[in-house]
Amino acid sequence: MTVHRRYCQDSPDAIASCALDDMVLLYHRSSGQTHMVISPVPEILATLDDGAAWTAGEVLGQLARLYDLGAAEEALPQVEAHLVELTALGLVRIA
Amino acid sequence: MNHGLSLKIGPATFRIGSAWRQPVEALARLYADYPAPADGIADFTVRLEPAGPFRRWLRPSIFITGDHGLADAAPMSLAHGLLAAEMGMNLQMALGWRRHLLLHASSVEKGGRALVMTGESGSGKSTLAAQLGERGWRLMGDEFALLDLETGAIFPFPRLVSLKNRAIDVLAAEAPAGRMGPLLAGTAKGDIRHLLPRSDAVERMNEGALPALLLFPRFGHESDVRPVGQGEMFMRLTQASTNYVALGEPGFAALTRFVKTVPARAIDFPSGEEAIALVDRLWAEWA
Repeated sequence: MTVHRRYCQDSPDAIASCALDDMVLLYHRSSGQTHMVISPVPEILATLDDGAAWTAGEVLGQLARLYDLGAAEEALPQVEAHLVELTALGLVRIA
Repeated sequence: MNHGLSLKIGPATFRIGSAWRQPVEALARLYADYPAPADGIADFTVRLEPAGPFRRWLRPSIFITGDHGLADAAPMSLAHGLLAAEMGMNLQMALGWRRHLLLHASSVEKGGRALVMTGESGSGKSTLAAQLGERGWRLMGDEFALLDLETGAIFPFPRLVSLKNRAIDVLAAEAPAGRMGPLLAGTAKGDIRHLLPRSDAVERMNEGALPALLLFPRFGHESDVRPVGQGEMFMRLTQASTNYVALGEPGFAALTRFVKTVPARAIDFPSGEEAIALVDRLWAEWA
């Protein structure tokens, strides 16, 4: 677990997003790829919207104020896994 | 090329060159009322060439090429030359058109608004559009619907309708013989006969219409209507577009606007008559 690794947005205008009735579309400007995502991915990306660098634990803490994510020891690996995946796609980068 | 013809179909212009006169003569007869490119310069060139050194004369065999081509396309018989020319034009559009988001869909217009129908080959979208085009709707196209990146309007691409197998008799019973092309028997897709759209489709080929309803037709099943979620709609439309990726963000913006503003339904039907009844009902309800 890379609990101290910090993540941030690729760049402030890296993504154009569009919420549909059952998912969110993310158009990644630098790759030209369209990603279809569902919760909690849009919420994780929204947390990073302020431009700051966040750890997975801090992202989880922010999300937990708005959503019921269950026990932290179970939710934290999931948030970390999403951040790793988003980093691999180029939507998020390691600060 | 020994024989040639220039054509304007909707916003696209083509120069078709052929080593043989027959395909060009067949095109010239069916496209007689279509305009030539205004400036004499075509967007795309299609070439029907002999598949080998002697194949212009000996068992004549056509290789379709042009500005865009597929290296491994199978050569076609000269008897199917009209189909080869049509396929050549479709190929240019599918691989080269960038001015609109290109959807593999049929479309018809009534009262200034467009009904768009998309589905795989055999879904019935082409036959249904052709039938509606004979029954008070303006046929905008049976193969490609062109989604304008700025306005969100659908623009026509009213080429000849390609009728396959059972659809030939269905439309031959509705359309006058003078608008039907020759029977091309035994092509890779079975028997094919082309239908010239009605004159209003040709005269109004530059006139777009805002989309009011999207249908996913499926022929050969009991009548049914199902809602289609926006996510599924988006996914199926990206699969139905040959240039979504190439257009980049303008394509994303145009397609998301379409998905968010146009209601969509999947329809199943066992016959053309039931399909038309379903379309009339859904059009009255949603458009």
